[in-house]
Amino acid sequence: MANVRDSDTSLWLHNKLGISNDSWTGGSICSQLNAEVLRNIKDCFPDLQTQVKLKLLLSFFHIPRRNTEEWRIELEQILDVAVSDSELWVAMLGEALKTYPSVGSLNTEIADLDEVRPIFTDLITDLRKLVKKQADHVMLPMECHYLNKGALTSVVGQQPAPIKHFTLKKKPKSALLRAELLQKSSDVALNLKKS
Amino acid sequence: IKLISDAGFQGEITSISTAAQQLEVFSRVLKTSIGSFLTNPEEWQKTSRECAKMVCHGQHTYVYSQVIMNVLAREPKGGSSMKRLSQEITKCAQKSGHDITPITMALNGASAYPQACQALTSMLCRNTLNPADISVLFRNYSALDPPPIDLIRTPQFLELLIDSLFKSGVKLNPEHKPKYIYLLAYAASVWEAQVKKGQKRCLNKEDLKPTVQAIETVHNVCNINKGSSELMAELANLYQCLRFPVVAVGIVRWVECTVTEPSYFKLSTEHCPLHMAMLDEVVNNHALLHNQVLDLLIRLFESKQDELEILVQLEMRKMVLDRMVSLLCAGCVVPVVKYIKQCWQKGDTDISLIRYFVTEVLEAIGPPYSSEFVHLFMPMVENDEITGTMRGDGENDPVSEFIVYCKANYSAII
Repeated sequence: MANVRDSDTSLWLHNKLGISNDSWTGGSICSQLNAEVLRNIKDCFPDLQTQVKLKLLLSFFHIPRRNTEEWRIELEQILDVAVSDSELWVAMLGEALKTYPSVGSLNTEIADLDEVRPIFTDLITDLRKLVKKQADHVMLPMECHYLNKGALTSVVGQQPAPIKHFTLKKKPKSALLRAELLQKSSDVALNLKKS
Repeated sequence: IKLISDAGFQGEITSISTAAQQLEVFSRVLKTSIGSFLTNPEEWQKTSRECAKMVCHGQHTYVYSQVIMNVLAREPKGGSSMKRLSQEITKCAQKSGHDITPITMALNGASAYPQACQALTSMLCRNTLNPADISVLFRNYSALDPPPIDLIRTPQFLELLIDSLFKSGVKLNPEHKPKYIYLLAYAASVWEAQVKKGQKRCLNKEDLKPTVQAIETVHNVCNINKGSSELMAELANLYQCLRFPVVAVGIVRWVECTVTEPSYFKLSTEHCPLHMAMLDEVVNNHALLHNQVLDLLIRLFESKQDELEILVQLEMRKMVLDRMVSLLCAGCVVPVVKYIKQCWQKGDTDISLIRYFVTEVLEAIGPPYSSEFVHLFMPMVENDEITGTMRGDGENDPVSEFIVYCKANYSAII
């Protein structure tokens, strides 16, 4: 009986997730998940196509939080199977999602898998060197545009003075315009008050 | 493919779908792409776009790359560049219609604050704010032990707040409006003072009240379509409030929405409309907003304006160039000159406009110049078609003075 159910689940997943090659998933299967279905998925997981495995794991992001908590054990069991998958993408994703059911955040220390670890750590090590080397030319995160001086300094420290490309010998036209406009503004404000 | 990659020819693997099939190959291609972003800071728009295209190939490549960038963003030196790249990629993914909010929230530490996390997730997923979730956040952030500020500094959330408060005509329920203002001001002004390990974190809220007031004042002006004289009367007040960066961001958004209305310049009677003059004030006070203002100016400079007569169109473009000169004088030099140079080289811009720009710049600036500036600007100054009519017989005109000075002092680069 269990076998029948396994093949049913496997067929269902292939029909739902195995059609397109695009790994972006909208989580349409989430509404049909429950603890029992998840247990079946765990059993048939090793035999699924790589694409289906990836999409299934990625659909975890679309499971409402209360359900993730409720099905934590079942989800973690699937992830346990995933991390020992021979396809490295599946193993890596399983490892990154390891902490997701229990705490809701991703595991960013991919250190437990012998085959994935060197790829991950080599990439981090090489890029970390480059990040440090380029530290004089940092780009600021987007939110910095909004921050008052105190808040900005607390986030990114003192900013280097800009490069001077020339001296200003005359103020641009806009400076004159500014003075005119401010004069006009106080005149108009005064008139409005009077009237 | 793995053999090509093993031999070190990452650049040859042009098909992302091929590269993305193997984790190892993708990792190398990703390294090349991130490396190109880091080492070419001036080309960041192009390199981040290319990187985003690759990262967004699939959801698995997206998750993996965001995890990598999240780790690197924690580097105390230089990490902020990686945070920016990650944000640029998040934005691209959203523009392509992918629902990446749960992934972002699983990486930003929000999960430790379930209420705030749920409220933010629900608004970011729908890309729209709502009073119920705003109220939850307001309650959380007015409590004694609020969640970390970083959560409400999520760029998409800040943009949504700016749009709700500064785009004209947006209706907010008056009962909830102060909460929107409070959250935006809180994100912009509150900061966590450095404390020793083990001590309770300490929030600095000195700037919160004045920031709330400034947002409120400007919101009241921008939200209602005021007549020109009413607006004029408010100008001094607006300039005062605009010293707060967050208000300046709001004003740029408001100006953008106003001046990109198709008939805006047709209906405007002033040589330089008030909204455009406000951009000068923004760039003089906020270097971090230079690029954003330049983008808007470029859009206006290249906009069709078919409803205006040819001569009026030229005048309007000259007015935009005045703003670009003002931007250049405020320190945004290389991007402005590069843009005008590219207009000239493409040959689709009226040459009198290039001439106008060169004249205005030469009138405002003097030596010493940086080599980079001379290298960029000289070809336009030397070009006969642009400056031929501006040169006098002797060497007393600005064009000849610039050329003579640079030839004497920068002979190595020209």
